[in-house]
Amino acid sequence: MVKIKINDQNLYAREGENILKLALKEGIDIPHLCYHEIFEEPYGACRLCIVEVIKDDERFITTSCTLQAQNGLEILTQSPEVVKHRKILLELYLAQAPNAENIKKLAEKYGIEKSRFPKRAFVTDHLNGKCILCGLCIRVCGEVMKAGVINYIGRGPSTKINTPFFEENPDCLGCLACVNICPTEAVSAEEVENRKILKSWSETKVKMKECKNCGSLFTTYPLWEKTKSLLMEMDTELEELCPNCKRELLIKKLTKNLPLPKPY
Amino acid sequence: MNNTKRAKELEEIILKHSSPAGRILSILEEIQEREGYLSKESLKYISKRLNIPLADLYSLVTFYSFFNLERGGKHTITVCMGTACYVKGAPKIIEELERRLGIKEGETTSDGIFTIKSARCFGACSMAPVVRINERIYGYVFPESLPSLLKLYGWKEK
Amino acid sequence: MKIRSLEDLEEIAHRGIQKIKGEKIRIAVGLGTCGIATGADYVYTYFENAIKDLTERVFLTKVGCFGYCSEEPLVKVTIPGKPLTILSKVNPEETEEILRAVLSGEIPDKKALCKIEEWNHITEYMVYGKGLANIPSYSDLPFFRGQLKLVLRNAGLINPEDLEEYIAIGGYKSLHKALNMKPEEVIEEVKRAGLRGRGGAGFPTGLKWEITAKNESDEKYVICNADEGDPGAYMNRNELESDPHAVIEGMIIGGYAIGAKEGIIYIRAEYPLAIKRIETAIKQAREYGLLGENIFGSNFSFDIKIVKGAGAFVCGEETAMIASIEGKTGRPRPRPPFPAEKGLWGKPTSINNVETWCNIPIILAMGGERFSKVGKENNAGTKVFSLVGEVKRIGLVEVPLGTKLKTIVHDIGGGSPSGLKVKAVQIGGPSGGCIPEEGFDTPIDYESLRDLGTIMGSGGMVVMSEKTSMVETALFFIGFTSEESCGKCTPCREGLKQMLHILHKILSRRGSEEDLKLLEELSMTIQTTSLCGLGKTAPNPVLTTLRYFREEYEGLINDGKD
Ligand SMILES: Cc1cc2nc3c(=O)[nH]c(=O)nc-3n(C[C@H](O)[C@H](O)[C@H](O)COP(=O)(O)O)c2cc1C
Ligand code: SF4
Ligand code: SF4
Ligand code: FES
Repeated sequence: MVKIKINDQNLYAREGENILKLALKEGIDIPHLCYHEIFEEPYGACRLCIVEVIKDDERFITTSCTLQAQNGLEILTQSPEVVKHRKILLELYLAQAPNAENIKKLAEKYGIEKSRFPKRAFVTDHLNGKCILCGLCIRVCGEVMKAGVINYIGRGPSTKINTPFFEENPDCLGCLACVNICPTEAVSAEEVENRKILKSWSETKVKMKECKNCGSLFTTYPLWEKTKSLLMEMDTELEELCPNCKRELLIKKLTKNLPLPKPY
Repeated sequence: MNNTKRAKELEEIILKHSSPAGRILSILEEIQEREGYLSKESLKYISKRLNIPLADLYSLVTFYSFFNLERGGKHTITVCMGTACYVKGAPKIIEELERRLGIKEGETTSDGIFTIKSARCFGACSMAPVVRINERIYGYVFPESLPSLLKLYGWKEK
Repeated sequence: MKIRSLEDLEEIAHRGIQKIKGEKIRIAVGLGTCGIATGADYVYTYFENAIKDLTERVFLTKVGCFGYCSEEPLVKVTIPGKPLTILSKVNPEETEEILRAVLSGEIPDKKALCKIEEWNHITEYMVYGKGLANIPSYSDLPFFRGQLKLVLRNAGLINPEDLEEYIAIGGYKSLHKALNMKPEEVIEEVKRAGLRGRGGAGFPTGLKWEITAKNESDEKYVICNADEGDPGAYMNRNELESDPHAVIEGMIIGGYAIGAKEGIIYIRAEYPLAIKRIETAIKQAREYGLLGENIFGSNFSFDIKIVKGAGAFVCGEETAMIASIEGKTGRPRPRPPFPAEKGLWGKPTSINNVETWCNIPIILAMGGERFSKVGKENNAGTKVFSLVGEVKRIGLVEVPLGTKLKTIVHDIGGGSPSGLKVKAVQIGGPSGGCIPEEGFDTPIDYESLRDLGTIMGSGGMVVMSEKTSMVETALFFIGFTSEESCGKCTPCREGLKQMLHILHKILSRRGSEEDLKLLEELSMTIQTTSLCGLGKTAPNPVLTTLRYFREEYEGLINDGKD
């Protein structure tokens, strides 16, 4: 264990422990958008989680999600420097995603009423003027669900997120992990008749599976197929579990603990 | 190109680039070299064959400016927009080219002969401003000298 | 044949010397990219046709670029026993006349730029001969006088496509020497030399190697960063085109020191000639057993692979480069872990710039101690700059670190060609900044440049005259970095977009003092909070022009007021 200090608080941590994770666990509020605990590797894209590190006579700003606990580490989460830069970042976010409610709230918390930067102009936007390109939906879809339906397109200021060729992508599982992980509620999906429609992802449609007995639509077709093959693989592992535990273990395997929408 | 012929060519390219470092880039580069661009069909084939989600592949080819997703003209005119060329008037060359050919940067003339592009520096700064037509680099190109240069590639003044 | 010993090397050197200064007249046409762009390939073809029946007397060959680009095409003529002479601005039509003169033992004076009587290749000393009194000596020309050619010692003098010529001037002797040392000793030598990375940041090379060497792993890699993305910089291109074996030799030595068996050269696709030359060189090195299994009969094996970039500036950043080699989009990732710990395929990797690698054989040949005396304290060795823009004499300039900026711009470059005043020099490309004339007394070293708000960068030096608008220059660079931003992190992706917007506003005379203030605030945030070096340094062109040429911004703002 090593000793560290966050603001005025002395804390013990495992050497190398992720500082953002630790701070959140301790109830210290550090705003963040691209960090999610299901991923081992920090991504470092949103830059909101910056903190000021004090090391001997030196002070510097760095992101807490990429910072590791070391003995004697001392950081400030709300120093004037941190706040100054965070405010500019929030102004940038307000311009980029003018419809994102939680960005507005966060900005208000920092006393920003209006961004000095002009808002991004769009007529229609498949992500509803809310996407801040944090990359979480891409990562959850690719790394966790192993579906790889969406990704960044282009680079730099014209970066977008969508399906390849902006066409419906048959690889979609309809799991809605992207919808649920999105910090700004940018991704939209709906259920129409017997299909899930991922409106944000080029209107990708996923067929639902109906119960043979009662006819209710209990999951999407691809998810059902995936579960089926998992079930076969885990045959012996599941043998001695009750239906509840069976279900839990299955979801765990399917999603690596991801907070999925309620099990169907 | 029909599908079996494409598959055969692509297989050949895939086999040629077998060592892991830089493999995917090399494969895509070679496809583009042979076909002039990366077609949707080729990308789909590579995606299946190498087990890379199409979304990832599409992300890759739209990230790098070297890849074309559309067929270009017979001659590609690339104007260097590096610092030295910029200082010596490269933007004027693009303007003049656009005017003469009646297309914008990134576009191809309707007869399919010329495409205008810009690049980030060919490292021939000493000859600034520099224009590359297909593989050949021309130094000291000025708006006035464009017509004679274009004529070498079959352009006719209207 | 496979080279196994020093004797083998000497045997080949003997063959190479015959080509460089043998019994035949040597005509060597400078065929770098810049030479070819001015028609040197035609010059070569004309010579080729003209000497068809004279091959008994004349040896025609290709060499790389000698660096004096504004005098291209350059042809080097060596008549046995006489100095090597450099002819400049040679037209294809002039080849016959030149040939006629040379065959009668003469050099056409009016074409002659200078002569070289003897040359220090560092790894070998070459004496050509004396005479030709009316041709100025190489070192008498202002363009060459302040220069010290270590890295470029072979460029333009030997055939880059002929391993025998490289060996003739002492090539691969440093490798032989290194293989007879312990890996730790090689690293020690590089540390003693005080070499700092030439890719921009100036990190001590020996230290980087040491860290990579100490990280235990079954596999390790060395990478040569030949992405040279800075617009206005082309020294790496020339180093690869003119002396590819120096890079290869450096990489083999590095691989040995670190414990890597594989090297990768990541080279930008915009450099087709450099790619071709380095491919040829690798092939030859393999044929001669200098790459592959059991190099020099030792139990060290090493090989090199080329990976072509695909047009993304950010891939020059090391973590993006690694991602790119692995077949992913070139988006940087947070460091630590550094590549020395977790690099290519998660294995310890040392990434170094082309020019850094070029310096390795020199260090082994000179000894670290002697190398460290070149240049300035803490800034050992030389640096190659590409001197371009509004300057009379254009080309590649190699000077000891610590040389003053004015020496390069005025003494070597000859100032502005048009009689206009030189206003500033842009150093370090899009990550660098504009230094005003008042700053030309500054010695060029990593720290002094940093204090001026710029960076050494890879060595691009673009001279700007009084007619260049500094605000437009800033706009140009922000436009560049914005488009080349990978788009991963917000300050760089969104921030640069907004900077561009503000600069456009100011340039169209709609800006205000608040815009200037916002521009500064935004710059600081982008600099402080971006994920990788691209974003962190992207505001430099704006910050330096605001610092030294603020009145130009204010002028535009005031213009808009009335
Ligand atoms: C955006 C960006 C672009 C870069 N481009 C290059 C480049 O073109 N060539 C290069 O050698 N280093 C480049 N670098 C620096 C490399 O990341 C790395 O520091 C360097 O290759 C290390 O080699 P050195 O120690 O020999 O200098 C770049 C860095 C950044 C952030
Ligand atoms: S859609 Fe949501 S999760 Fe995806 S990148 Fe945008 S903000 Fe992040
Ligand atoms: S600073 Fe720019 S280039 Fe670097 S990671 Fe961020 S967005 Fe990408
Ligand atoms: S949470 Fe650290 S950069 Fe986004």
